[in-house]
Amino acid sequence: MRNFLRFLKEVKSYWRLLVVISVLTLLTSALSLPPPYLIKILTDDFTQKHLSANLPHILILIFAAYVLLASSSAITGYWLSYCITLLGQHFKMDMRKKLYAHMQTLSLGFFEKSKTGKLMSNITNDVATLDQLISGSFVNVLQDSVTLIAVIFILFKLDWRLSIVALSVYPIYIANYLVFIKRIATTSASVREQRETIYGDLQEKLTAVQVVKSYARERYEVLQFTGETRNLLGLNVRATALSTGLWTLAEFIGGLGTAILIWYGGLQVMQGRISAGSLMAFYGYIGGYLYQPTLRMIQLNDAIARTNAALWRIFLNLDTKPIVTDKLDAKPMPAIRGEVNYEDVWFEYQQDQPVIKGVSLHVEPGQMVALVGASGSGKTTMVNLLQRHYDVIKGRITVDGLDIRDIKLASLRTQVGVVIQETMLFNTTIRENLRYGRLTATDEEIEEAAKVANIAHVIEALPKGYDTLLGEDGVKLSGGEKQRIAIARAILADPRILIMDEATSSLDSETETLIQEALDRLMAGRTSFVIAHRLSTIVKADKIVVMESGVIKEMGSHHELLAEGGMYASLYSQQFKVALEAIAAQNELAGEA
Amino acid sequence: MLGQFPRLLSYLKPYKKRVLLAVILLLSISFTPIVLPKLIAYTIDTVLPTHNSVALFHVFLAIVAVYAFRGVVSFWLNFTIGWLGQRVVFDLRFQSYRHLNRLSLAYYDSRQTGKIMARLMGDIDFIQQMISNGFITFLADMLSIVVILVVLFMYQWKLALVAVAGIPFYVINFKLFIRHIRPLSVELRERWDAMLGVLQEKLAGITVVKAFAREDYEIDRFMQTIQDNFNIGMKQMKLNRKLGSIAQVIRAIFTGLIIWYGGTLILHHHMEIGELLAFSALVNQLYDPAVRIVDFNVTVQWTVSAMQRVFETLDTRPEIVDAPSAIALRQMHGGVEFQNVFFGYERGQEVLHDISIKVDPGQVVAIVGPSGAGKTTFVNLIARFYEPSRGRILIDGYDLKKVRLESIRRQISIVSQESLLFSVSLKENIKYGFHDATDLQVVQAAKHADMHEFIMALPFGYDTKIGEEGIKLSVGQKQRMSIARAAITDPKILILDDSTSALDSKTEANVQAALEYLMEGRTCFVIAHRLSTIMSADLIMVLDAGRIVDVGTHEELVAKPGVYQSLYNEQFRSATEDGLEALLS
Ligand SMILES: Nc1ncnc2c1ncn2[C@@H]1O[C@H](COP(=O)(O)OP(=O)(O)OP(=O)(O)O)[C@@H](O)[C@H]1O
Ligand SMILES: Nc1ncnc2c1ncn2[C@@H]1O[C@H](COP(=O)(O)OP(=O)(O)OP(=O)(O)O)[C@@H](O)[C@H]1O
Ligand SMILES: [Mg+2]
Repeated sequence: MRNFLRFLKEVKSYWRLLVVISVLTLLTSALSLPPPYLIKILTDDFTQKHLSANLPHILILIFAAYVLLASSSAITGYWLSYCITLLGQHFKMDMRKKLYAHMQTLSLGFFEKSKTGKLMSNITNDVATLDQLISGSFVNVLQDSVTLIAVIFILFKLDWRLSIVALSVYPIYIANYLVFIKRIATTSASVREQRETIYGDLQEKLTAVQVVKSYARERYEVLQFTGETRNLLGLNVRATALSTGLWTLAEFIGGLGTAILIWYGGLQVMQGRISAGSLMAFYGYIGGYLYQPTLRMIQLNDAIARTNAALWRIFLNLDTKPIVTDKLDAKPMPAIRGEVNYEDVWFEYQQDQPVIKGVSLHVEPGQMVALVGASGSGKTTMVNLLQRHYDVIKGRITVDGLDIRDIKLASLRTQVGVVIQETMLFNTTIRENLRYGRLTATDEEIEEAAKVANIAHVIEALPKGYDTLLGEDGVKLSGGEKQRIAIARAILADPRILIMDEATSSLDSETETLIQEALDRLMAGRTSFVIAHRLSTIVKADKIVVMESGVIKEMGSHHELLAEGGMYASLYSQQFKVALEAIAAQNELAGEA
Repeated sequence: MLGQFPRLLSYLKPYKKRVLLAVILLLSISFTPIVLPKLIAYTIDTVLPTHNSVALFHVFLAIVAVYAFRGVVSFWLNFTIGWLGQRVVFDLRFQSYRHLNRLSLAYYDSRQTGKIMARLMGDIDFIQQMISNGFITFLADMLSIVVILVVLFMYQWKLALVAVAGIPFYVINFKLFIRHIRPLSVELRERWDAMLGVLQEKLAGITVVKAFAREDYEIDRFMQTIQDNFNIGMKQMKLNRKLGSIAQVIRAIFTGLIIWYGGTLILHHHMEIGELLAFSALVNQLYDPAVRIVDFNVTVQWTVSAMQRVFETLDTRPEIVDAPSAIALRQMHGGVEFQNVFFGYERGQEVLHDISIKVDPGQVVAIVGPSGAGKTTFVNLIARFYEPSRGRILIDGYDLKKVRLESIRRQISIVSQESLLFSVSLKENIKYGFHDATDLQVVQAAKHADMHEFIMALPFGYDTKIGEEGIKLSVGQKQRMSIARAAITDPKILILDDSTSALDSKTEANVQAALEYLMEGRTCFVIAHRLSTIMSADLIMVLDAGRIVDVGTHEELVAKPGVYQSLYNEQFRSATEDGLEALLS
């Protein structure tokens, strides 16, 4: 209910439209009422001798009334639909924008915990459900309640006894509906769930079709899928049976009501209590104006229940506070010189499972820092913290002496360029992908960046060059080619601090060296963080930081660390064991000679 | 255009008894809509004026009987068609998915996952609608129009002419508007898909969006797409409503005309009031079916295009199929030979040229070469994900094309460059390649991949779920998971495509040591850039721009100038220049 009130608040800003809609609704339902009454007049005029004097005139009047009513109800109907659609579309647009904008402010942690599909469904389906409630159910109910009251009033006015008899099946009708609708609702909820399951599985298995194929698991997957769709078949058939049952019974009950009306009403006519015209009016009103509106009013209850779930999800999202936010008095970061300081930094993704445990690290402007260490030791996490995707739980990180929590997030991130470990490119042209680094970049700058990343010749060899589409619809690039595009994108951003998280792991050493040299020139005087496992990538770093399980084990230059003979030295000799042995052998040979 | 229909009908064939039943049921209730107005007319014109209360009671019974009959039959009918629709959908979906699984990777390379899914779900649903509603409504409409027209003309042919005169107006109005509405619906659909595309991509790639602080830009872009949706939605509504409003007025004019003219006829004693009422009730049931029938061909067109898409999938011949005479290679030894193999993903763009190499069972082959040289492509051919355009690949001396695909793939394990894991538990991920694996085997595989300790430290151990709803793994951890998944299958040929790139040397050495034990008696292809991984291989194959430029052992290759030597020097020299003295001293 609380959600609901809040929802009403959201709708309140459209109150002007709502007022117009209410007025138009009243008009429309008023205009829809007369036709059965016209039939009554007609019938009475023909069946009762004393009334049939000026029949030709009455006929013309009825004709005129029909056309007039239809025209005016067409006009009001048009404007009513217009306003309702306007309201619905506006509401959807505003709500979607609000949700999406809000999601964009949320930190990475939020997205890691939510399925992309669920977030999308929140923006698309849940919002659509709300719209159905506003522009469907609400308006209908308004219209229906007016119609219902008016019709019942007219009926009782015509003849109260006949009204009571005619309405006698009404409770059965409602009861029938209520009995079925619960089951129908649960069945259709299961149908929806089952569909979502199938959809999710399908998505995952089709994306990873190579895995399926390389393990020759096709038959198993088909079996799995068949099982799931068979369940869906069962549920769907059940749903069909239920709803067919409901509506057939409803039609029968309505028919019973008509039969009773004609019988009892006919007797009344014979006894001269009512006119044949009134009977016809009853027949018209009860068939067309009573049952449908009643059902729709009952359905409102259901619609609200369904909306409640959607509301709950929407507000849950809107209420999620970004973990990382700008402080009120946050200042924009001036041009970064590049001094970075980790001061006793602690961090955990999950409560009580610290991933970074008291790291202190000082980086001078312009230094190249290399992070090495076991897989899972927290290297990526370290650089994520510098970009402030997460906030440290203890200690602080400063850039040029400013705590990064005190400055504007966007001003920090635009000056920190990053090549993330898992290359992610968008399904658009190569040019657009590169330009994502800096939206204002000219074509020349883009090509320049591609050259630095040593990918320009590959792109130019493609038939469409920079306008080649990438991704599912376009060309497939090799792992190393993708990495180089990502590097070019980061370069284009012209960052003051550059982070390369395994950015060259899929490149051969030669290409890597070429890129490195070009980068050295470009990044002269700027701070950079490099994570790499191939030690040749990092030997010339000013500072090598060796991490293990979230703490810094060793720190120093390549030389110093080798001399220390600790973890780095063992990593090193591990990697170059064979070669070192060979050289040692050579040296021995040389020594002997 | 209707070419697809017979094919769709063939899906109904197994259920022809039910189809027949549906048609019979439909025929038997098609007369009910005219009975009620007739009964009412009879009441007003005959029963009431004569004060015959027995007849009135009979009318009552007749109405109840008609409704009861209609209820039973229509329930049966609707259930039958509902069932038929769902059943055909099931059959189609099953077939499509089975077929999709047979198609080779090349098929997936050129198609968006979203589009494939749309076919499997949306298009097939559309066909179901067509079967459950379209066909039957069409038949029912046809029947009821014919019956109603006959009845109307029997009543009063002059009045019937007036009623029929309204139909063309009604239909023309509909046709005029629908011409403009249809394209809008299509456009709306496209815009909506575009919006979903943006949403999907940018939410999945949120890391990049945030890294470049592009949130505002993305919000603007999204705003544009939903603004488009808004505009088209409004435009469509306006046209729809105009169509509806004019139709309403046309209908009212003709109903009014009928009452007027009918009234005049009554005055001249050509008909009775009850008949007129029945007449106008029947006329009301004439217009909508008329439009639906006119519109039916559009529904048919849509269904046909949905069917075309579905059948296109079904008709795509898998490029790689087992030859009828293909044999199952039960016990593979692992010898691999390429004989003058050429290959390109796209016609005219060759990626591999004239590759010939022979690998003995149990050998470890390292593949090195610059990025984009075709290393991944080479190993993809061994697993027969693609077919060479020229040349032959032999496994244990058998042509790959003459061996049952599944028997080969079951004995080959690939750890591919990008680690794709499923969002299930760690255990299920490891077991993917070998569902009957015991827990012990799972643990063993995890140990080989140096993941066991990490997993045991997790609160739920091997049952921990990964993915969006579970824990996150670092990239190196993911790589090790896919190594574990490959290790458990006990393959004869093991392919590691750059699959230790995210591991530090120590972890890599651990994995390698475990793998070496595992590689005993297996043929291995290892793509790597790090020297330590490569040097111990039995054979090093150097690829450059799609050609084998050198093959040999490390010692041989280092000794002669070439791609490998410079690769080696590059990596080694930079690392050893300063390090050497320190280490040797
Ligand atoms: N599915 C595909 N469709 C079309 N072209 C492709 C496809 N996969 C790769 N290519 C192209 O074929 C060439 C060779 O790619 P491949 O993946 O074999 O290179 P690689 O040697 O593995 O490189 P890397 O070390 O960067 O992974 C590249 O130029 C790539 O763009
Ligand atoms: N988003 C996350 N949520 C929860 N846990 C995480 C998340 N990202 C990483 N972890 C965990 O934190 C630890 C450190 O991960 P991180 O990605 O920093 O490692 P890494 O040193 O970069 O490893 P690699 O070399 O394998 O990439 C790992 O144990 C990982 O499972
Ligand atoms: Mg990492």
